[in-house]
Amino acid sequence: MKKTRVLVTRVFFVTTITGMRVELRGVTKRFGSFTANNQISLTVEPGQIHCLLGENGAGKSTLMNILFGMLHAEEGEIVIDGQAVRFADSGEAVRRGIGMVHQHFMLVPVFTVAENVVLGFEPTKSLGRVNHRAANDMIHELSSRFGLDVDPDALVENLSVGLQQRVEILKALSHDAELLILDEPTAVLTPQEIESLMAIMRSLASAGKSILFITHKLKEVQAVGDVITVIRHGEVVGSVPATTSEADLATLMVGRDVSFSVTKEVVEAGPAVLSLRDVVIRDDRGISVVNGVSLDVNGGQIMAIAGVQGNGQTELVEAIAGLRHVESGTITLGGRDITNKTPRQILDAGLGHVPEDRQRDGLVLSMSIEDNLVLNTAHFRPFAKGWSRNLPAVSSNAADLVERFDVRTTSITADVGSLSGGNQQKVIVARELSRPLTCFMAAQPTRGLDVGSIEYVHRQIVEQRNQGLGVLIVSSELDEVLSLGDRVAVMFSGQVVGVVDPQVGRETIGLMMAGAKPE
Amino acid sequence: MSVETVEVTKALKQPHGRSRVIAGIIVGLGLFVALVFGLGSSGRAKSQFTFSPVNLSSNAPWHLGALTVNTRGWNVVLGVLIIALGTEVWVRRPRAPMLRFGLSSIIFLFALLFWACRTPGPSQIPFVNLTATLAGSVGIAMVLMYGSLSGVLCERAGVVNIAIEGQFLGGAFFGSMVVSVTNSFLYAALAGALFGALLGWLLAFLAIRYMSDQVIVGVVIVTMMASLSSYLNLQVLTPYPNFNLGNTASTTGIPLLDKIPVLGPVLFNETWFFYLAVALVALVSFGLFKTRWGLRVRAVGEHPKAAESVGINVARTRYRNVIMGGAVAGLGGVAFMATQGQFQPGYTSGLGYVALAALIFGRWKPSGAVVASILFGLSAFLANGLQSYSVPVSSEIIGMFPYIITIAVVAGLIGRVRPPAADGVPFKRS
Amino acid sequence: MKIWNFLKRLNARGPAATAFFALILGFIIGALVIIATTAVVLNAWRHVFSSPTAIFSALKVTFDNVGAAYRAIFIGAVGSPSAYSHSITTGQGWTNTIDPLSETLTYATPLAIASIAVCIAFRTGIFNIGANGQAILGGIAGAWAGSMVHLPTALHIPFTLILGVLGGALGGLIPGVLKAYAGAHEVIVTLMLNYIIAFFLLYVTLSTALQQPGQANDISRTIDGSAVLPPIFGTGSGLRVSYGLFIAAAVVLFGWWFLNRSTLGFDFRITGANPHAARAAGINARRVIIFVFLISGGLAGLAGEVQMASTTHFVDGGFLIGSAGVGFTAITVALLGRNEPMGIVWGSLLFAALNVGGRTMQASTGIPLDLAAIIQSIVVLFVASPVLVKEIFRLHTTTEAVQLATKGWGQ
Repeated sequence: MKKTRVLVTRVFFVTTITGMRVELRGVTKRFGSFTANNQISLTVEPGQIHCLLGENGAGKSTLMNILFGMLHAEEGEIVIDGQAVRFADSGEAVRRGIGMVHQHFMLVPVFTVAENVVLGFEPTKSLGRVNHRAANDMIHELSSRFGLDVDPDALVENLSVGLQQRVEILKALSHDAELLILDEPTAVLTPQEIESLMAIMRSLASAGKSILFITHKLKEVQAVGDVITVIRHGEVVGSVPATTSEADLATLMVGRDVSFSVTKEVVEAGPAVLSLRDVVIRDDRGISVVNGVSLDVNGGQIMAIAGVQGNGQTELVEAIAGLRHVESGTITLGGRDITNKTPRQILDAGLGHVPEDRQRDGLVLSMSIEDNLVLNTAHFRPFAKGWSRNLPAVSSNAADLVERFDVRTTSITADVGSLSGGNQQKVIVARELSRPLTCFMAAQPTRGLDVGSIEYVHRQIVEQRNQGLGVLIVSSELDEVLSLGDRVAVMFSGQVVGVVDPQVGRETIGLMMAGAKPE
Repeated sequence: MSVETVEVTKALKQPHGRSRVIAGIIVGLGLFVALVFGLGSSGRAKSQFTFSPVNLSSNAPWHLGALTVNTRGWNVVLGVLIIALGTEVWVRRPRAPMLRFGLSSIIFLFALLFWACRTPGPSQIPFVNLTATLAGSVGIAMVLMYGSLSGVLCERAGVVNIAIEGQFLGGAFFGSMVVSVTNSFLYAALAGALFGALLGWLLAFLAIRYMSDQVIVGVVIVTMMASLSSYLNLQVLTPYPNFNLGNTASTTGIPLLDKIPVLGPVLFNETWFFYLAVALVALVSFGLFKTRWGLRVRAVGEHPKAAESVGINVARTRYRNVIMGGAVAGLGGVAFMATQGQFQPGYTSGLGYVALAALIFGRWKPSGAVVASILFGLSAFLANGLQSYSVPVSSEIIGMFPYIITIAVVAGLIGRVRPPAADGVPFKRS
Repeated sequence: MKIWNFLKRLNARGPAATAFFALILGFIIGALVIIATTAVVLNAWRHVFSSPTAIFSALKVTFDNVGAAYRAIFIGAVGSPSAYSHSITTGQGWTNTIDPLSETLTYATPLAIASIAVCIAFRTGIFNIGANGQAILGGIAGAWAGSMVHLPTALHIPFTLILGVLGGALGGLIPGVLKAYAGAHEVIVTLMLNYIIAFFLLYVTLSTALQQPGQANDISRTIDGSAVLPPIFGTGSGLRVSYGLFIAAAVVLFGWWFLNRSTLGFDFRITGANPHAARAAGINARRVIIFVFLISGGLAGLAGEVQMASTTHFVDGGFLIGSAGVGFTAITVALLGRNEPMGIVWGSLLFAALNVGGRTMQASTGIPLDLAAIIQSIVVLFVASPVLVKEIFRLHTTTEAVQLATKGWGQ
C-alpha cells in the first residue's frame, strides 16, 4: 500500500517542478574502427523541443542510446542541471528523469497497456503482487492530464501503431520523465497521427518538459522544433533556429546541395506488364491489410507507390513476390497469372525483386558476394551443370557485375556482410537486373543508403525504365516518389486512394496519403 | 478499434484445417472404441471395476464394492462420448483442443482396459482397479510436474532448458547417494536441488554469458550427465553398494482427506515430494501471473529489450530463473528416485524430454503443465498396465506409446500454441 | 613457449584452434574426474600434510594414475611404441602391433559416415539428434536384406547398403514431414523417435520374421557371407578394419562435394544461413527440409548398415544403444569438426581413438569407458562456446560471429 501512495504523489509532483536542462559535452563513441559519434555537444533547455536532424546512419540513434544509458561513451559527459551523471543502464537514466520512445517500440505485445506502463516500476500490494488498480488509476490520471487517451486494460498487440506510441509516451511520463527522447516517432504514423503527436509534443513542452526529437524529415523539424541540431557522419555540423529554410537544412544534412530531381527522358509507356485486380491480403495476425487493390504497371514506366509505412505496401510487395498469401483477386505478370504461385515460379516469370528488408530477405550475410549474386539463379545455366555448380561461371559473373554496378569491395569472395549498406543494396540490384525481367519491383530501394548510393540506384532504375522495363517502386520517402515516379499510386489503409501524375505536387499527394481522394 | 479486436480473436482460433484434422483423429478413436472394443466384444462379456486401494485395504474406513458392467454396452457408450468430443472440436473449433484430445485418449485407454479385462476373455486379471491405476500414474505425473515446472521457469525467462533429462539424472544420482548415507530424504532433496541448480547455472552461464546455442548446450549437458552418472555408478556405487541402497520415500497421509474414497489414497496419501510438487506449482503459478517478479520474468522472456529499457537486468533474471529451474528439475530427479529406488544409469528413460512436451502441451503455464503431466502420467501408466492383461499387442509397441504422444504434441497435431516470443534467443545488450 | 605462440597464431587463423584448446580442456577435466573418483589418489592426498614429502608422493600417485589411464587410451587406440619398434626391427608381429589402429579405423568408419549425416543437417540449420535411431533402422534394414534375401556378393553388398540407406531415410522422413508440414521442432521429434526406434529394435529382433532361429533372446539372424563387408586384410588376418572404410571415404567426399559444389547443397546452406532470404530466392523450404532429412537419415542409415555388416553381422537389442550410440557421438564429432567434412575426418578419428582406447583403459585400469563420453561432452561444450575457450587461454578475441545452429520453439 505504501508504494502505491508514493507513486501517486510522484505523479502530482511532476507539475510543480520546472523542467530539466540536459547537456551533452564532447560525446564520442566508437564501434571498433568506426566512429559513430565524434565530439558531439548539445544542450536541451527546459520546455524546449530540440530537434536532432540527420540522415539515416548519421549517428542519431547511437547518441540517444548513450544519453539513455543503453550504450556507454568512450569520451565526453552528460550533464543534468549542472551535475555530471553517468548511467550504468537505462534504469538509472529513467530514474534520473529521462524517458525514451524508441523507434522500435519497447512494448511487450502480450501484456496489457497498464502492465507495459508500470513494468520495472510496479506498484505492489502484499506478497509482491502487482497492484493493477493503482496502475490503472495512474494511467487514467496521466491520460486525462496530457490528453493521451488509451484503455489501460487493452492488450498492446491489439492496438494500432499510433496508440502503441501513445503507450510509450505514457510509460515515459509515468516514470516522471523531464526529458523525453522521441526516436524517429513519425516514421510509422499517418499524417493525422503525426499532427496529433505534434500537438502532444507542444503541450508537453508547455508543461515544462524538454523534448529531444530525432528525425530526418525537414518539414517536421520546421513545424515543431525550437532549436535544430544537425549531425552528419557522427559530428555536429550546425545548430540552427527552426526558421532556417528547408534547403539550408538539407544542405547541412547531406553536406552538399542535393537535388532529388532525376533527369528522365520521355519514354512512351508500353502495355501493362504487371496487373493487380482487387487484391486482398491479410497480415500475420489475420487482419486484412490490403483491401481490394487494382493497379497496372506498364512497360517503360515507373509506377511509384507512395504512402505512410504500414498502409499495406509491405504486404502488397510480399504478395506480388509470392511470399504472402493472396486472399482474393488476381496478379498477372507479363500476361501470366502469378496469383499465389511459389516465389520460384514468380521469379521465373520475370519478376525482379529488391526486398524492403535487404539483410533479412535479400542477402545471406555470411556468404560471399559471388554466391549472393547467384542466390536465385544457381540452378540455371551457366551457373549449374547438372547437379553441380559451375564455380568458374559464378566467379566470372561476379567479377562482371561488381564492375558494372560499381560494388566497392576488395574481393568477390568477401562476405556480403562486410560490405556497407549501399554496396549490399548494389549487390541485390545487380543480381536482380542480371536476369531477363518482365517487371522490376523495389521496396524502399534507398532506405539507409548514403547519398552517392542513392543517386546510383536511382540512375539504374531510370535506365531500366528507359529500356522499356516496367518498374514498381514502393517508398515512404515522398521526395523519392515524386522524383522517380512517372505515375504515383497513393496507398492508405490498404487501398489505392488514387493514381496521379507526380506533377500534381506534394501538397495533393500528402493529402492523399492521409486518405483524401484526389479531385 | 472494435472491428480489429474481433478480427484478432477470430485469428486466434485454430485454423479450419487443423481443427478438422484433430476432430477427425478424435472421431476415429471414438469409432474404434465403439466398433472394436464395444461391438467387437461378445454381448455376454462383463468387465469389472474395483475401487479398493491395495495398500489401504486392511484399514480402509470405506469399502466400495466392484462395479460390473456389460463390456459391449459400456464401451459403446465410451466410444460415443469420444465421438461427441470430436464433433465438438469439429463444430466449435475451440482454441484449446488439446484438452479434448487428452481426455479422448484417456477414455480410449480405459475402454481398452475394459475390453482387455473382460470375462470371459483371455486375461488373467478379470478387473480394473481404478484406485490403483490412478495412484500408479501419480508417480510419473509428479516427476513430469517437476520437469515441466522447471521448463516453465526457464522458458518464461527466454532460455530453452532441454537439459531437464540431465538434471533428473544428476538429481537422482546424488539423491540416491545422500539418502543412502544420511537416511534422510530432506538432505537428499537438498543435494539433488543443489546439483540441479549447478547444472542450471552451467546452462545459463554458457547460454547467457557466451551466447552459446541453448539447444546444443542442453543436449550436451544431458549426454554429459548420462555418461558421468554411469561412470560414477561403476566407479563409486558398484564398489560401495552402501551408497545406493535404494530407499524409497514413505507416504504421509493427510488426516481425514486420505479417507475419501478413491481420491484419498490417490492424492492424499502420497510422499511429501508429491505435496511439494503441488505446492511449487501453486507458488510458481502465483508468482508468474500475480507478482512483480512474474511480470518482469515474463517481460524478459517476451521482449528482453523492452525489459532492459526500464532497467530490468535481463541477464540476472535469466540466470536466476534457469538456476531455479535447474533446482526444481534436480528435485524432480530425487522424487523419481524416491519412488523408483536404486539408481541405475539412464533410468529416467527420456522423462525429461516428455516433460518438455508436457510444458508445450500446457502452454507454458504451470497449471497447464499439471494437467498435461497428469494426462501423460495416466497414459504412460495405463499403457504399461496393459501388459498384465494379455492384450494382443506386444509390450514393445505399447512402450512406444508415451513417446508417440509426445511427438503428436510437439507436432501441434492437437493444436498450436505460442511460446514466449524470445524463447531460445540469446540476448545481446546493444 | 614457441608452441604457445604458434598456437596463438593458429587461433588468429580460424576455429581449428578452438577445437584444439577445447580438447586440452576436455582432457584436463577428464583427469580431474579420474582424480576425484580413484581411491588410491584420494588417499594419497588425504595424508598430504603428514610429512613434508607427502605432497610429492601424492603428486606422483596422481600422475601415475591419470598417466596410466591416458597411456592406456593411447596404446589402445594407436598401439604401443615398443610393439612398433619390435615389429620394425624384426618385421614380426605386425598384426598385433597395428590391431589397435585397425580397431580405431573400424570404429571411425561408421562414425565418420554418421557425422557427415549430422553435419549436412547442421549446415541446413537443422539439428538431427535422431541420427542414432536412423542408424539403427539402417542396421535393421541391412540385417533383413543380408539375411532374408540371398544374392551373389556383387549384388548382395550393394543391395544391403541401399536398404540400409532406405531404412535410415525412412527414419528421417518422419521428423522431416512433421517439421515441414506441422512445424514440429525436430529436436524433440527425433529424440522421441530414438526411444521409439529402440523399442522397435527389440520388437523386430524378437519377431519371428527376423529373430535368429532357435533363439529366445533379442537377436536377429546373421547376414549371409555375401552381404558381409570383408576385412581389408582378409578374414584370416584378424584385423577387423573393413572395406567400409572406403565407403566412409566416399561419403566424406560426397559430403564435401554436396555442401560445396552441388546446387542442392547450395540451397541447403542458404536455408541454414538465412531461411528468409532462401524463401525470397525461390527455394522451397519444405522441399529442403524433407530432402535434408532424407539425405541425413539415409547417410545415418548407411552408417548403421556398415557398422552391422562389417563388425557384428547381426543386430541385437543393444545395437547402437547406450554408450555404443555412434549417432550421438556423431553429433559431437560434427561440432568438433566445425561442420566441415575435413574437420569431421579428424574429429571421427580422434573420438574413435578415444572410445577404442577407452576400452583398453577400462580393461587395464578399471576406469569405466564412460570417461571417453564425459571427455567428449566437455569438449563439445567448449567448442560450442568459443569465446569461453579464448577467455580461458587469454587468446586474442576475434569477433567471431556466434551462429546458432538451431532455432527455439518460436520458429
